[in-house]
Amino acid sequence: MRRIPILLLSCLALLGACDQADCTLDNSVTYTCNFYAEGSKVTLNDIITVTACGTDSVLVNQKQGATGIELPMSYWNEEDTLVLRIQGSGYTMEDTIWIKKNNIPHFESPDCPTKMFHLITDVNSTHTFIDSLSLVNPNVNYADVENIQIHFHAAD
Amino acid sequence: MPMLKIYRYISTLLISLTAATALSQTTEENIAEKAKALPDTLTAAQKEKKSAFISGAAVSVDMCGLMMKLMNSRFANMEASARLNFKEKYFPVFELGIGDCTREGEENNNVFSTTAPYFRVGMDYNFNKKHNGNRFFGGVRYAFSTFNYDFENPDFMDEAWGVHTPLVLDDVKGKAQWAEIVIGVETKLWSIIRLGYNVRYKMRIKQSGNEWGDPWYIPGFGRNGGSGWGGTVNLTFDVGKTARKNKTNLKI
Repeated sequence: MRRIPILLLSCLALLGACDQADCTLDNSVTYTCNFYAEGSKVTLNDIITVTACGTDSVLVNQKQGATGIELPMSYWNEEDTLVLRIQGSGYTMEDTIWIKKNNIPHFESPDCPTKMFHLITDVNSTHTFIDSLSLVNPNVNYADVENIQIHFHAAD
Repeated sequence: MPMLKIYRYISTLLISLTAATALSQTTEENIAEKAKALPDTLTAAQKEKKSAFISGAAVSVDMCGLMMKLMNSRFANMEASARLNFKEKYFPVFELGIGDCTREGEENNNVFSTTAPYFRVGMDYNFNKKHNGNRFFGGVRYAFSTFNYDFENPDFMDEAWGVHTPLVLDDVKGKAQWAEIVIGVETKLWSIIRLGYNVRYKMRIKQSGNEWGDPWYIPGFGRNGGSGWGGTVNLTFDVGKTARKNKTNLKI
């Protein structure tokens, strides 16, 4: 009978063990758009700025010499509208991109940050300097992969 | 007259002797018969003891889960079980429990919660060949649970768009199946009351995930993962032939 408390405490210690958070370290959820021209990946020498309609947020601020951009998605909107502005020597051009998506809440543990994953369903744009968009990978999550290809018009 | 008395005495003596002889013969025959029957009876009892297919039944409650619940642990599996005793060797068991979990994030305000039943079926084998009231078990279980869980993040913030919208997911459905390897000991405390404990290694076989993420806790399994450890401290009420046998042995 004297061993009963020891048994109970041992049981509680056993069941309470190994209770530690194990969160994903790379927990940024962004999607990657790479630049293409004439079917090949290119480096954009102009300055590019990306803003999101409906908010004052600047998603990409005057980035130069980029081969692509990483952008966050809105958590709750069904469609994100982005304005891409390119500044070169003596010219500025703008295009608008529309990205339709499904938003998928994602959690791992109460101790870990809650994130929003997305499934891109459609992409469209205006065609000032953008020729076309290709949806390569619709899943936006922790994976660091190319999601959208932005094809520029061929240089005249 | 004296001759008549003599004849009466002789007749009485003869009758008495005859009766006594007959009685003694009957007693001897009875004793002999009993003596003959006794080994047969013992053999039958031994045969019955050896060949009894169902030796008893028992119900148990897990005190460990109840204590964890009373101590406001992050989760508790409160369960009871029923089992049969086949020849004091094989113990098919059915376990029914309720898993309860309310888990708050340590560095945030996230809350995961669920309360749902779980079921286990399996078999224990008693490695102790001596019928001395102690049992050393090894066994296996198949377990499953179908449950709903809630997850809340009141501080869910879309920093890029500057939108604060609490995330509330209610009644997210989950299913899980797992297997357990059990080892344990059990001893008789008093009369039909027994106390035992066991340790279990749990291996998740399958879980039905959803696109939102896996549940942090599975009722009956514990914290979600490919495998895990658990255990119970069982207060058992053992009835049946085994309990009666123990009483008889105590009188002898």
